[in-house]
Amino acid sequence: MTVWDIPSKQSASIKSLCTAMHADVAIRLQEMGFEEGQLITCIKRTAFNGPTVIQLGDCIYSLEQSVANHVNVSAL
Amino acid sequence: MQKILLVGKPNSGKSLLFNQLTGLRQKVANFPGVTVELKSGVFKAYRHTANPQSGQVLDAKQQFELIDYPGTYSLKSWSKDEAIAIEQLLAAMSDEKTSVILCNLDATRMERSLVFALQVQQISKQHNKTVVFTLNMVDELLRFNHNLDTIKLSEKLGSPVYAVSAKTLIGISDLQKGLSKIAISPQEYRVKPTDINQQSFATAAKILAKEFAIPADVVLKRQNTIDRFLLNSVFGGIAFLLIMFFLFQSIFTWAAPLMDATEDAIGFLAGVVSGLLGEGLVNDFMTDAVFGGLGSFLVFVPQIMILTLIIGLLEDSGYLARAALICHKPLSFFGLSGRSFIPYLSGHACAIPAILAARTIESPRKRFVTMLTVPLMSCSARLPVYALLIAVLVPDVSYLGGWVNLQGAMFFVLYLSGILTALIVSSVLNKMTEGSEELQDMPFILELPSYRLPHWQPLFYRVVNSGIQFVKRAGPIIFVVSLIIWTLGYFPNNGDLQNSYLSAIGQWIEPVFTPLGLDWRYGVAILVSFLARELLVGVLGTMFSMQNADDNIAGLAANLEADGLSLASGVALLGFYVIALQCVATVATLKSELGKSRYAWGAFLAYGVLAYLVSMLLYMVLS
Ligand SMILES: Nc1nc2c(ncn2[C@@H]2O[C@H](COP(=O)(O)OP(=O)(O)OP(=O)(O)O)[C@@H](O)[C@H]2O)c(=O)[nH]1
Ligand SMILES: [Mg+2]
Repeated sequence: MTVWDIPSKQSASIKSLCTAMHADVAIRLQEMGFEEGQLITCIKRTAFNGPTVIQLGDCIYSLEQSVANHVNVSAL
Repeated sequence: MQKILLVGKPNSGKSLLFNQLTGLRQKVANFPGVTVELKSGVFKAYRHTANPQSGQVLDAKQQFELIDYPGTYSLKSWSKDEAIAIEQLLAAMSDEKTSVILCNLDATRMERSLVFALQVQQISKQHNKTVVFTLNMVDELLRFNHNLDTIKLSEKLGSPVYAVSAKTLIGISDLQKGLSKIAISPQEYRVKPTDINQQSFATAAKILAKEFAIPADVVLKRQNTIDRFLLNSVFGGIAFLLIMFFLFQSIFTWAAPLMDATEDAIGFLAGVVSGLLGEGLVNDFMTDAVFGGLGSFLVFVPQIMILTLIIGLLEDSGYLARAALICHKPLSFFGLSGRSFIPYLSGHACAIPAILAARTIESPRKRFVTMLTVPLMSCSARLPVYALLIAVLVPDVSYLGGWVNLQGAMFFVLYLSGILTALIVSSVLNKMTEGSEELQDMPFILELPSYRLPHWQPLFYRVVNSGIQFVKRAGPIIFVVSLIIWTLGYFPNNGDLQNSYLSAIGQWIEPVFTPLGLDWRYGVAILVSFLARELLVGVLGTMFSMQNADDNIAGLAANLEADGLSLASGVALLGFYVIALQCVATVATLKSELGKSRYAWGAFLAYGVLAYLVSMLLYMVLS
């Protein structure tokens, strides 16, 4: 399961960043707080497979599909 | 001069704090990534010391250079461009001239801010620098009755902490006093040893946030509720379209009464001056060149100000980030990013800051495409041209009880044409850059800021300033060109335009404009407006008021109508102005941002040719 699969208003915890991800992107995500064990809550899925909106700690981020499906999570 | 560096997470209010500490007016907006270049100002530190003998208080003043940095999430970089910015920051942190590092945190997003703050503190310690933390936006905490224990936090962090609000000025004077002392003798305030876990700042930040910060869910509750509505598939889309339509409609309808008033005032003034002067050369000059040329351009100042007001309101509200999100998917079809929305929107005021704003687009390729297409947005310099021609060509009728005006709707169509052209050109550029080594692709990741009410005072200043800047930028050149055009048009036959030097020159270039159905007067005006678009209005104003010496002076639209500008030619002219890149400053900005002059001049040429072809086609179809 990845961040992209979390339905609206549901939460999951981060397992790992997919190794296939571009290294630069992985660094950016880590700096934004995407680390193992962190809780992610999906605030809103947008129409036509647009970027998903999630809460991580005290920040709200939006990630497009190609990033969101490279962050592995496990359901709570 | 010793330096103070102002750093922090994007959108934490650094620039507003910078403005309060220096008295400058750097751009502030509720969107991460507003500041894209280093900006410096002067912070005046005061020290009060009592003379032990006389008891007299001495005020010592020392100036520091305060530098506002672009916001960063971390001191590690993720892209080549950011690497340069971070290298600069690291170099500045180790510079011996740097006395203090002022690290700004967003008090409503403390956990994330703290991770960066701890990194900054660690590096500062290595370079033996002093760090001061500001926890900004405490006004928002007070709304939730949350008090920050800065003394205790400062003990935990081992560096001074100030709770401030750059917006409502809470704590700013304490910060000024404190920072003065610290900046003058930084060695006394070096980072003290703490028991913060140096291995994982994320964990440390979490623990500190738990103890001091307001719980995230409390702050984010309202924001998330609004987002669930504004990002909703149906309502969100409708809201977006309504906001955009309202934006363009209001530029026209709200401004109309103000424009009429300005026009009347200029006409009245012209009448008075002309009455005082009596017949003759000077009178002709004043009425035609000054009131006709400059006056017909001043009429548009209210429109520029309203445009700035609405863009400013959107920027302050936090909606821009949502708009970027909503637009991401549609824009990616054209090889753009959701982030391209921001430069595109601000390109409707002026292309130059918009091209700079494109720097925050993560993907170099999408950034390249965005920068090259921003000049197709209908910037405020095109506004006078549009407004003039619409007034001539489109009847002033309203529907739906005055909410929709035909002329206003035509404005919308013109703006839309610019955007559509940009999207088509983007797709072409996207195809052309496919697989380019130099221009990589990066995904869309964006932090959504809190919704906020507008900050009225700077907004008001910005609106007034946009009017002043518009006049300052184009005024002098319009004046000089009007003067030259008037002189060439007045002589040798004392005001007989059709038999003047200007007309002789004009006949030469007329063949170029015949395919558009335009005569030499328009040809001259178009050519001259390659210096600045507004010149079209000024130059036509001068020429037409020379022809109709007795008519009302600033009523250029009426003059054009009486002269018989046909619908086909008028539309052709509009088509030309939608596309052509007639702005020297934009070409220069493109050149410096893209690093290669061949792209900038290529765009200039390509848009010129495209504009000409499109306008020829429009004329052929309509006539
Ligand atoms: N309520 C409140 N809003 C603030 C305060 N300080 C700044 N803001 C708002 O926060 C937003 C961001 O402010 P900026 O000064 O542009 O932030 P920045 O840190 O320079 O942002 P970047 O340049 O993008 O890194 C703006 O909408 C400001 O009006 C504050 O103390 N209280
Ligand atoms: Mg800033």
